Amino acid sequence: MKPIENPPAGSGKRRLAALCATRSGRFALALLALFLLLLGTGLYLLRPTAAAQVEIWSEGEKIATFSLYDDQTFTVETAAGSNTISISGGKIAVLEASCPDGYCIRRGWCSGGSPIICLPNRLEIRFLAAGLDGVTG
Amino acid sequence: MKGFRVPLCARMRAIAALLPLLALCACGRAQQTTTRTLYAMDTVMELTLYAADADEEADALEALIRSTEGTWSVSAAGSVPAVLNAGQEPEDAAREVVGQVLALSERCGGAFSPTLGALSELWGFSTGAYYVPTEAEIAAALQEEKWDFGGAIKGYTGQIAAEYLESTGIPCAIMNLGGNVQTYGEKADGTAWQIGIQNPEGDGCLGIVCVSGTASIVTSGSYQRYFEADGVLYHHILDPATGSPARSGLRSVTVIARDGLTADVLSTALFVLGLEAGSELWRESDDFEAVFVAEDGSIWATEGAALSGCDYEVIARETD
Repeated sequence: MKPIENPPAGSGKRRLAALCATRSGRFALALLALFLLLLGTGLYLLRPTAAAQVEIWSEGEKIATFSLYDDQTFTVETAAGSNTISISGGKIAVLEASCPDGYCIRRGWCSGGSPIICLPNRLEIRFLAAGLDGVTG
Repeated sequence: MKGFRVPLCARMRAIAALLPLLALCACGRAQQTTTRTLYAMDTVMELTLYAADADEEADALEALIRSTEGTWSVSAAGSVPAVLNAGQEPEDAAREVVGQVLALSERCGGAFSPTLGALSELWGFSTGAYYVPTEAEIAAALQEEKWDFGGAIKGYTGQIAAEYLESTGIPCAIMNLGGNVQTYGEKADGTAWQIGIQNPEGDGCLGIVCVSGTASIVTSGSYQRYFEADGVLYHHILDPATGSPARSGLRSVTVIARDGLTADVLSTALFVLGLEAGSELWRESDDFEAVFVAEDGSIWATEGAALSGCDYEVIARETD
């Protein structure tokens, strides 16, 4: 095993101090800071957005809004049938449904993307994702 | 650099003050909207018009969508497919659309066919009575040539909805026709429309495509409609060459095009063709962009697709 060589003490700090001593050095640092800020902001805005809230819709009416961080299980009754929905740890899933096809259940635990739809029961779970105008799929 | 005397901390403060502005610019939702949800074409549709009190226009759009459904639905009496299946000629306006669908079908070498109605019924995708047919049954259904515009008409509907909006004062709108997204106009803040692509595995979006102005964004995926029999998954995108669900190594294809009919037909066709033949079709074309998601999870996007938020391979116009 080769011993790890320690860098000269304070060399990083000294270099930073030297950079701060000149106007062009400070300008370069400011530019770097600006670049990192813009990069961070850009990455934040461009991230595939996960939703923090969901809305339950039926027949064009919003029934309820829930936070994905408020764990609970509840049943929604529509004129066409019932769906048991659970929220846990930032995700939502349909656990049980009276519909014949079960597509809503097969979608599994979701935190975003296109709405979870139970077409036979006329039920929709919409994800409110910042920065997205729509979802295809 | 001389003369640039604003202190560093003041500059940083100025930058920090600008950040919330940047966030504001990225959000086009502050504006008032009129929304409408309707059930049509076996799916949920959501219309968002960027104008306050645009109920009249929303009513007109809903009526337009419902009449288009009546005109093109296989099951509606007197519809275009019903007339064609009876061996008669539809009216001129419909004949033009049928001609466009056939031209697109020819362009993709038959990878999309508007005459697979009997096959779709046989597998149960249009009826819900799922069934794995025998080779002989598939061959017979392929012979039947029953007209069904299911894979084209939602895209066409988005397109004529956008054409209707041109006659109104509404500056911009976004319509989700069951996973088909139709944008109309430029957003008021000048930013592009940000459209998420659904993760085929279920949870969340894979990435985001940026689209400016009026466009149609359509995804065909094996996850959208399928059934399981004896441990095998059968999905709804049927290959006209085999009469069975397409096995092209893809999970989904998203097509972005100005023309809604083109986007809808080609998303199905590219799924059937697969990544290589689909890329080749794109190289021969100049009217669409595409994002392919392969079964191994890899993502491939054509040069102009403006995909962000994920790692992907770029499909270049020129091959080495």
